[in-house]
Amino acid sequence: MPIKQSKTRLIPLILVPLIFLLSGCEFKDIDKDVFVSMMAIDLSDDEDKPYKITLKLYVPTSSFKQSPEPEYSYITQSGETFSEAIRLLESYSDKELEFGHSKLIVIGEELLKENKSKEILDFLLRRPDIQMISWLAVGRPSAEEIVKMLPQGENAAYPALFNYFDDIGTESQYIVTTYLFDFRRRIGENGIDPILPIIEINKNKSHFEINKSLVLADKKEPHELSTVFTGIFNMLSGNAETADLIIKEDGHYFIAKIDSMNTKYKVTVQDNNRIKIDIEVSLIGFISESQHPLETQNLSYYNQLFEKYEKKILKDFFNEMTDKGYDPIGFGIDYKSRTLHNTRMSNEEWDEAYKNAEINVTVIPKLKSTGTIQ
Amino acid sequence: MSRYYYYLILINMVANIIASVPTILLQYHKDGSVSSMALAVVTGTILVTIYTRFFNAFPGMTLPDLLMKTTSKWFYKPFIFFLALMWFVAGLITLVTFIFLLVRYLTPEMPVFQISLLLIFSIIFGCFMKTERVLYTIELILLITFPLILFIFYKAYTSKSIEWDFVKEAALYVNQLPNVNSFASCFFLFLGVANLFIFNRFFTKKQNFKWMHIAFIGIISTLTLFTTYFIPIGFNGFENIDDLVYPWITTSDSLRMEFFMIERVLFVFLLFYLGIAFLSILIHWHVSIEFLKYVFKLEEIKFRGFNLGKYIPILFFIAVSLLFVRVMNEYKLFRISIYFYNTLIIFFPLLIILFFYIKRSMKNADKAKQN
Repeated sequence: MPIKQSKTRLIPLILVPLIFLLSGCEFKDIDKDVFVSMMAIDLSDDEDKPYKITLKLYVPTSSFKQSPEPEYSYITQSGETFSEAIRLLESYSDKELEFGHSKLIVIGEELLKENKSKEILDFLLRRPDIQMISWLAVGRPSAEEIVKMLPQGENAAYPALFNYFDDIGTESQYIVTTYLFDFRRRIGENGIDPILPIIEINKNKSHFEINKSLVLADKKEPHELSTVFTGIFNMLSGNAETADLIIKEDGHYFIAKIDSMNTKYKVTVQDNNRIKIDIEVSLIGFISESQHPLETQNLSYYNQLFEKYEKKILKDFFNEMTDKGYDPIGFGIDYKSRTLHNTRMSNEEWDEAYKNAEINVTVIPKLKSTGTIQ
Repeated sequence: MSRYYYYLILINMVANIIASVPTILLQYHKDGSVSSMALAVVTGTILVTIYTRFFNAFPGMTLPDLLMKTTSKWFYKPFIFFLALMWFVAGLITLVTFIFLLVRYLTPEMPVFQISLLLIFSIIFGCFMKTERVLYTIELILLITFPLILFIFYKAYTSKSIEWDFVKEAALYVNQLPNVNSFASCFFLFLGVANLFIFNRFFTKKQNFKWMHIAFIGIISTLTLFTTYFIPIGFNGFENIDDLVYPWITTSDSLRMEFFMIERVLFVFLLFYLGIAFLSILIHWHVSIEFLKYVFKLEEIKFRGFNLGKYIPILFFIAVSLLFVRVMNEYKLFRISIYFYNTLIIFFPLLIILFFYIKRSMKNADKAKQN
């Protein structure tokens, strides 16, 4: 069978030389890439080039032992558009900028006040390499300062700022976590407003302080939520799983540690487009600190105090929200999810009605113990 | 029913997520997509039942076999050629969509040409396999990728970030008249059964097809459509959902698995879907090539004893695909997909008339034989 043999020999003879045509990996090696760890977007002083972008880049090191301290490099550029700034930034770095691993985007407070969130969002969404699960935050006084700050006790290669948001590190009740996709859906929808955490630096420049938040709304000034209200927002929206609540009532001053909570709300519309919002919060926990001695048999009394005080704070929170017309919890979409689209009121009507909404707060206090001492 | 039968149906349903079906559905999110979906589940299940019953009556026979027995040459030759063209286009649309996705997300620095060739070659090798081997390949790849895709769906459903209020809001748009384009794209999910035109060759024994099996298909299709349409809405909101060019890619990017090997689900999702898309194109093009074999009697074209004929359509396949990748942009592809799906909703129900005709003539032929 000479013909068949020559055929089987022919195939490798053709295939083997083809290997030499292969040019190796055409994409860039990993050491020719530099990874962006976070991005800061600010308003610049230059009016022609309003956007200032600062990138925090990981400095590649061969081993952890060689550089146990965190090391970063920073590049900054202003531009008329984001892409122009990025294009120039690429010329400042000897390596290819890789945005795929950037996990946090800090936006300067000034820029948000200019109502530029739509433009920022467009840039962030249009690029396929920016993660939809990156966190968004507001930097005060400016995003650049936040990004450039190295807090005490920061680990190498994992920026401390990530720990605040990723639910693995701290689980403070005052930290709002907003993902990029969440921000996008809240901006587009009428009936739920975007909320962003505010990152501040303490006076000694030794650590961050993240316990306030900013509610944005269309065509309105961003509204800042205080620390207490941020905590309440987190509780109501299910962001926080545990919370410490202070009770100052009737001469008592104690702190309830809540380890489980449950929030239900229901929007009902009466005739003449009057809205009634019923909110039911049940708080289960124990007392963790008190200025006066407590007695176990008085637990139901403490529960009463607790209910009274929490109701007051919750009412304050909702009054502030409805009076100014901000809706970070999403009562609007709750209403939309219960009524047919052709029978419900228009967005403008809803906004108007929301401002005059009647709010009923019910707190179900369930303090189970006074702690290990009476 | 044989499990291979379900694979054929399942692949077409699952693969749609990567094709333009969700994009079309979400485009008409305020113009009757929900009711179209409901309508498509009913009509689609009926179509699947009729098709399966028909082919079950003729075990082991392909549609071209049946046509050759019952119709004359002037009819079946152009008709089968038309079918071949249709199946080729179905595969082509999936291919181009996936190539665009790969270029956009996975390998932005690689030339489109190279990616296309890479994919086309691997599919073409599959197309030459025997029909039963194609089914074995499907089983193998499905076994690897499908559990992981189900896991991603499970993660999406149980995610804390999914906002069910948006889903409810979207579902309340049910009181609208169905929309043709949405209906057509949903209907496409059920057309996996049409692959029996060739794959019936494999099912040589009469199968048991009862109400239970029909109900099973109905449930699976409902779940698929629900996932396809409502999960992206839950993650990306309702109002601006039509902005998204690839809703499912954005959705998978919105998922976060902090304790998984890769935090960003997008890449895992794309890789698994590469497998599913490969299977979908493989099935369509295999059917297309088999059709062409009937039309042109390709096996008889020989060159010095070497069977050359088989390879002729391949050249066309490669050339047309490469041309298509070059000419298309996302918008054109989207429009073409809509037109294509719309022709299918007219064509496939009409085929049922042909089935009745075939069934009658076959019965008459049987009777004539007995006499």
